[in-house]
Amino acid sequence: MSTPAIVVRGLRKSFGQKQAVAGIDLDVEAGCFTGLVGPNGAGKTTSLLMMTGLLRPDGGMVGINGIDVWADPRAAKAIIGVVPAESQLFDRLSGEELLEYAGRLHGLPAGEARSRGAQLLSVLDLTADSKRLVADFSTGMRKKATLGCALIHNPSVLFLDEPLEGVDPISADVIRRMLTRYVQSGSTVLFSSHVMELVEQVCDHVCIIDKGQIVAAGTTEQVRGGKTLQQAFVDLVGPRTGQEEGLPWLGSSSS
Amino acid sequence: MARLLVQLKLRMLLNALRASTRAKVSFIISTIIAGLLAMGTFFILALLRGQAAAVDETSVVLTVFAFGWLILPILVFGLDGTLDPAALSLYPLRTRPLAIGLLAASATGAWPLANVIGLMGVTVGLARGAAGVIVAVLAVLLQVLFCITLARFVITALAGLLRSRRGRDLAAFLVLPIFALYEFFIQVVPNAAAQHRLGAASFAGVDRWIRWVPPGLAAHAIQDASTGRLGTALLRLVLLAAVTGVLGWLWIRSLGRALVTADTSTQASQVRGAALPFARYGLTGTVAARFLIYQRREPTSLIYWGIIAVVMVVASFRVVTTPAYLGGVLFAIGLGAAMTGVFHANSVGVTGPGFGSEAVALTARRELRAYFCGQNIALAMVGIPLLALFSFGLMAVAGHPVDGVLALALGIAALGAALGVSNIFSVVAPYPMERRIGSPVRRAAEGYVGQSLAGTFGSLLGVGVCVIPVVVAVELTSSATAVVRMPVLAAAAVVYGIMLAWAGQRIAASAAEPRLPELFQVAIRSKL
Repeated sequence: MSTPAIVVRGLRKSFGQKQAVAGIDLDVEAGCFTGLVGPNGAGKTTSLLMMTGLLRPDGGMVGINGIDVWADPRAAKAIIGVVPAESQLFDRLSGEELLEYAGRLHGLPAGEARSRGAQLLSVLDLTADSKRLVADFSTGMRKKATLGCALIHNPSVLFLDEPLEGVDPISADVIRRMLTRYVQSGSTVLFSSHVMELVEQVCDHVCIIDKGQIVAAGTTEQVRGGKTLQQAFVDLVGPRTGQEEGLPWLGSSSS
Repeated sequence: MARLLVQLKLRMLLNALRASTRAKVSFIISTIIAGLLAMGTFFILALLRGQAAAVDETSVVLTVFAFGWLILPILVFGLDGTLDPAALSLYPLRTRPLAIGLLAASATGAWPLANVIGLMGVTVGLARGAAGVIVAVLAVLLQVLFCITLARFVITALAGLLRSRRGRDLAAFLVLPIFALYEFFIQVVPNAAAQHRLGAASFAGVDRWIRWVPPGLAAHAIQDASTGRLGTALLRLVLLAAVTGVLGWLWIRSLGRALVTADTSTQASQVRGAALPFARYGLTGTVAARFLIYQRREPTSLIYWGIIAVVMVVASFRVVTTPAYLGGVLFAIGLGAAMTGVFHANSVGVTGPGFGSEAVALTARRELRAYFCGQNIALAMVGIPLLALFSFGLMAVAGHPVDGVLALALGIAALGAALGVSNIFSVVAPYPMERRIGSPVRRAAEGYVGQSLAGTFGSLLGVGVCVIPVVVAVELTSSATAVVRMPVLAAAAVVYGIMLAWAGQRIAASAAEPRLPELFQVAIRSKL
C-alpha cells in the first residue's frame, strides 16, 4: 500500500465552550479519493481549515506528504490546493485574470500561469466567459473557477469543502470527471460533502465525522457494510428529528 | 392589504428595538435625528414669516425634501423589506391593493412623520388667515404624498436594476455627490453666510424655475390662499394632486411589471485586455496589478478617491485665496494623503474573503513584503497623480502655481507615511467589514467600531507625526532661492516618503508572518 499523503493526529479545536473538533486521527493514502462526511456542524470545515494551515488548531499535528503543516506552512502550501465552501474569489477580476493571479501567487512564471489558466478555463467550460467579471458568474461557474485556482500549480493533495454545493448537474459532471482524472494520475483528494450518493459514487475511502470525532473510517465498502452509504451514515450518526407526526395537516387536501 | 403592510412596517420598526444593542442604538439615534429634523425644519420655515423671499425659500426647502425622498431610498435599498416588490411577488396579491398598502407602509414611521411635522412650519411662516392655514395643511399633506409616490415610483422602476451587481455599483456612486453636497453645506455655506455672500435675498427669484414643479406648486398655493387668491390656490393644489395621481398610476403600472420581470443581473460586462498588467514583474508586480484593477473596477475604491479629492478642496477652500494659502493647501494635501491611509488601514478586512485565496499561497515574510509593497505601489500609482493634480491646481487658484512643488513634496512624504502606517494597522488591528444588504458602502462589522476608530485616528496621528520634519524643512527654507529650494525639498520628501512606506511594509510583513491564520479568519468574516 502507498504511503499516507495526509496524516492527522489528535487534531482539536474549540470555539469558546464548544468543542468543534475533539482530537481526530486520520490517514489518507496517496492516490486516494476520500470523502469526509458528517451532519451540519460536525466539524468538517473546521478540520479542513486546520489541515490546510488556515485555522490554528488548539492541539495535534497535520502532515502532508511528510511536511508538518504548522511547522513549515510554506512548504505545505506549495503542494496543496484548497477549494473552500464559501467563494473566496476576487470578483472584480475576469475569469482569466483570476486564474493568472492564482498561478502567479503560487510562483508560476507569468506566461506559464496564463497558459495553464487558459487550459483550465477550457476544460472547465469557462472559455466563453473568460473575460466576464467573476462577480457576474453563476454559483456553478464560481465553483469551477475556484477549482481552477486550486489546481493551477498542480498540487499533489487537493482539499475540497462541499465542492458541488449549488452546482448544476452538467458542471458537477465536469468537476467530477476532472477530479477522477486527477486522482488517477496519483494525486490525492480529500473532500467534504453532504451528498452521500456522490461520495459513494466517486470515493474509494470514506470518513464519517460527528460532533468533532471520527466515528467511522475506511474503504467505502467497509464503511457501508453492505448497506447504502446513506443508511450506514444515518445508523452511525443517528436520526436527528422524528417529530414529523406533529404536522397532521401537511399533504392532505384539507386546508 | 394596507393594514397588513402598515403592521409589517411597524413590526419591523419595533423589531429593531429588540435586535442587538448596536441596532437598537442606531434606531434610537435615527429617531432622535428625525425628531430634530422635524423641529429644525418647522422653525426654519416658521422663521420665514414676514420675509420678502419667504415663498422662494419655502419652495427651495420643499424641493430639497423631494430630492431627499428621491435619493435616499436608492441608497438604502434593501433596508426596508416593504420597498422591494420582489419580496412580495410570491404572494397572490392584486396590484392596486398592493400599491395602496405599500404607499401606506411608506407613510408609516418616524421619518415620514418628521416630514409632515417639519413642513407644517409653513402654517406659521407662509400662511395668513384661516384659508391660508387650511390650504397650507392640505399642501403639506399633498407634498408628502407626492414625495412618497415619487420615491415609490423611482424605487420600483429601478428595483430590477438595484438587485443586480451593476445597479448596486451605479447606486454606490450616488454617495460621492451626496458627500460633496454635505461638505458644501457644512463648510462652504456657513463660510459664505459669515462673509455676507449668502443671505435670504440670495433665494429671491429662484422660484421662477421651480414654481411650476410640485414643491413650488405647494408653496405658491399657500401664498395665493394667504393673499386672497383662493381660486388660484385651489387650482395649484388640484394640479399637484393630478401630478401625484399620474405618478401613482405610473407606479402601479411599473409595480405590475416589476412583479413579473426578472432582474438584470444576468447582463454581464466584458473586460478588455488579456492579461494582468505587470504580472511579469514578480509577486510585487502581480499584487500591484490586482490592487490597481480594484482601484478602477471596485466602486468603493473610486468613491474613496473621490472623497479624498473633495476633502482636499473643502479643507483648503477657506484660505486658498488669502495670504495664508500656503499653510492651508499644505494641510489639505497632507490630509488627502492621510485619508489614503485611513481608507486602507484595514486592507485585509476590506479585501474580504478574497484574501483567502492569497492566504493559501503566501506565507513567508519575503512574500508578505512583496504583497504589501505591491499594494502600496498600486495606491501610489493613483494617489501621486491625484495629489499632483490638486497640489498644482489649488496653488494655481491661490496664484502661486510654483508652490505646487512644495505641496506635492509634502503630499508624497505624507502618502508614504500613510501607506506604511496603513500596512501596520492592517496587520495589528484588522477587523471584518460588512455591507448591509442593499447598502452601497461598507463599514466595520458589529463590535469592531473601536478598532475602526483606532485605525482611523491612529493613521491620521501617525501621518501627522511623520510629516512634521517636512513641514519644518519647508518653514526653515522659506527664505532660500526657489530654484534650489524646490528640487532639493521635493527630492528629499520623495526619498523620505519611500523610506516610510518601505519601513511600514517591512514591519507589517514581519507581524503578518506568524498571524496569517488569524488574518485569514478576519478576512472570511467580512461580508462584502
